Amino acid sequence: MARRIPWIIKYRPKRIDDVEDQDKAKAQFVAWLKQWLSGKTPSKKAALLYGPAGCGKTSLVEAAAHEYGLEIVEMNASDFRRRSDIERIAGVAAVQRSLFARGKIILLDEVDGISGRADQGAVDAILRLIEISRYPVVMTANDPWSQSLKPIRDASLLIPFNRLTERHVLNVLKKICAAERLECEEEALRIIARRSEGDLRSAINDLQAIGEGYGRVTRALVQQLVTYRNREYAPWDALRNMFNAKYIFQAKMALSQANLDYDQVLLWVNEHIPTYYKDPEEIWRAYEALSRADVYMGRIRKTGSWEFLSYAFEMAGPGVAFARKQYKYRWAKFTMPERIKLLAKYKKQRETREGIAMALSKRLATSRRTVKREVLPYLRVIFRNAKNPEYAARIALAYGFTEEMIRFLAGEDKAREVLAYYRKYARK
Amino acid sequence: MIVSEEKARSRRVLAELLWAEKYRPRTLDEIVNQDEIVARLKKFVEEKNAPHLLFAGPPGTGKTTAAHCFAHDLYGEDYHRYMLELNASDERGIEVIRSKVKEFARAKLPGNIPFKIVLLDEADNMTADAQQALRRLMEMYTATTRFILIANYPSKIIEPIQSRCAVFRFTPLKKEDVVSRLKWICEQEKVDCEENALETIYDISEGDMRRAINILQAAAAIGRVTVDTVYKVVGLAHPHEIREMIKLALAGKFTEARNRLRTLMINYGLSGNDIVKQIHREIFSGEIQLPEEYKILIADYTGEIQFRLVEGADDEIQLNAFIARLAFIGKKLGYKA
Repeated sequence: MARRIPWIIKYRPKRIDDVEDQDKAKAQFVAWLKQWLSGKTPSKKAALLYGPAGCGKTSLVEAAAHEYGLEIVEMNASDFRRRSDIERIAGVAAVQRSLFARGKIILLDEVDGISGRADQGAVDAILRLIEISRYPVVMTANDPWSQSLKPIRDASLLIPFNRLTERHVLNVLKKICAAERLECEEEALRIIARRSEGDLRSAINDLQAIGEGYGRVTRALVQQLVTYRNREYAPWDALRNMFNAKYIFQAKMALSQANLDYDQVLLWVNEHIPTYYKDPEEIWRAYEALSRADVYMGRIRKTGSWEFLSYAFEMAGPGVAFARKQYKYRWAKFTMPERIKLLAKYKKQRETREGIAMALSKRLATSRRTVKREVLPYLRVIFRNAKNPEYAARIALAYGFTEEMIRFLAGEDKAREVLAYYRKYARK
Repeated sequence: MIVSEEKARSRRVLAELLWAEKYRPRTLDEIVNQDEIVARLKKFVEEKNAPHLLFAGPPGTGKTTAAHCFAHDLYGEDYHRYMLELNASDERGIEVIRSKVKEFARAKLPGNIPFKIVLLDEADNMTADAQQALRRLMEMYTATTRFILIANYPSKIIEPIQSRCAVFRFTPLKKEDVVSRLKWICEQEKVDCEENALETIYDISEGDMRRAINILQAAAAIGRVTVDTVYKVVGLAHPHEIREMIKLALAGKFTEARNRLRTLMINYGLSGNDIVKQIHREIFSGEIQLPEEYKILIADYTGEIQFRLVEGADDEIQLNAFIARLAFIGKKLGYKA
């Protein structure tokens, strides 16, 4: 399957005006940035953009960079833990002049991901970066109010973003529908917008999932696929968030917010490891983690100790997400797993096989295990390949096989012929 | 009622038995080989007395059949009333066995019956602890019951049990025994067969009479019994899906290998454990070209996956982990199918 470009990237705003809503934040941010561009260093060298997910924080930074011809140097806050990284980042990014003499913005996305005692080193490193940087340092966060982020708050200009209203989300969705020449019912878009609770990114992802999957966006499709609310995500959203998570907490949270049973979560991940990963090493590492998760699930089932659940989710979520060799946002279509559709079939076939073994075991004076190994294979040959299907029907009669068992032994096509005889005899 | 009896009779006429059942010897006299063993068992019948028995030997050499014939000769047609058949690998644990034996042994014996028989198949699959419990059971009911234990590997039966049993060693059947038996069956069934086809069946079945008869019946069902049909049956009976799954995985085609896996689980009703064991056999079969040290590596990982299957919750997840590992190894090796 060709990987398509995510619409959240395809349609990200190129100009500040294109960023939906957030007029106050825009004004604040642009004024601060213009100080840098005019050669002055503002009193606060860093800006901390905060607000709910998908309201346009990163988009505004990218649009501004585009408009003013600035290069964005994005850094992962978790890289900041090692001293060598601090030196490298401080030395290279913050001081050196940009290639082609362009200005730069140093962007640290989602700094609230580093809160916590273990990451104290990261906070210090960011403070040092701000101190020595010759370029604007921009950070984003959903929730900047944790105690450990206080030094960063003090060193930064705080720029709040509002939750987008339904109307604003709807505006953007309509524009994308027009650009994609997608047939969209207004009511359908309204449902997506409402359901997104101001998270434009998730709304665009929903739109793409339905639009690309079905070629049109109707109210019926949306209601069928997008009915999750209150911090619960549709499974495909949860998987997308999980696989593309930048931090452990995100991957773990993504899975726990999926609107699925615990076992089903694992089946979804099982189905889509090769959807997301293409490199054999990544696939293997991901499955190794999932295999561990499944072992924990087995222990939960056997011992009834739900305390293992946390380990299972750490392996199935972050364990799988961090199987990648390097981070890159990847777009993939996460569909309903084949396995879930086949689950009942698996179970039924297994039971049918046991039933046949049971019926034969008594008569042949042989254990069920030996019957399965030594007799079933030849019985299948007779049922599937006999010149005369009548012969198979007579054997079925001798051992009282059910029609289900005959279908199992003969396969769907041949079973029809065998069953025709079998039913004739059974009536006699 | 009359109608249904008629119904039953006509069904009996139409019904076609598996030859493995139809031509299984019913009496000790009908057993054509294992002469020494048969002679000793007949002596027990004559004396209406016997010790506990241990029948040991490879599959398909007539161990279970001999036990049934022995009981038949001892008790007559409805011998099943005096024989309890248990299967160590089918029953869940020694506790189940204990309660079944207890209940069976309690029932009173008619005067002309010297003892009852407990037939325990696959006794070598029991743990040492379970065998200790079994030994106590044998002692407890020794006044009224005799145990016949059946095992492929007598060395896996603990000493105290072996010393309490008369041990009978069944040997693989000789070529002429198997071929003449097959020929006789062909005559009874009016099946046209080539002499060297029967020899081929013997070669493939390695002295296992049950397997030989199964192959013969399947071959007769699909055509004339020739060397070609025999090989065709064997090829059809043991699908190459597992081998192909391994090869696809090694060639880096993970998703296709996974689809094969699903076919095996759905179409064949195989459990994860069934599949893992066959994988293990395939790895060393010579059909899969790999450097020796990688075979060892894969065998080790196969064992690990089998362990996780027991511990885990979902067979397919565990087997996917296995084929993902194969795909990675195949890539490192530059494996070409």
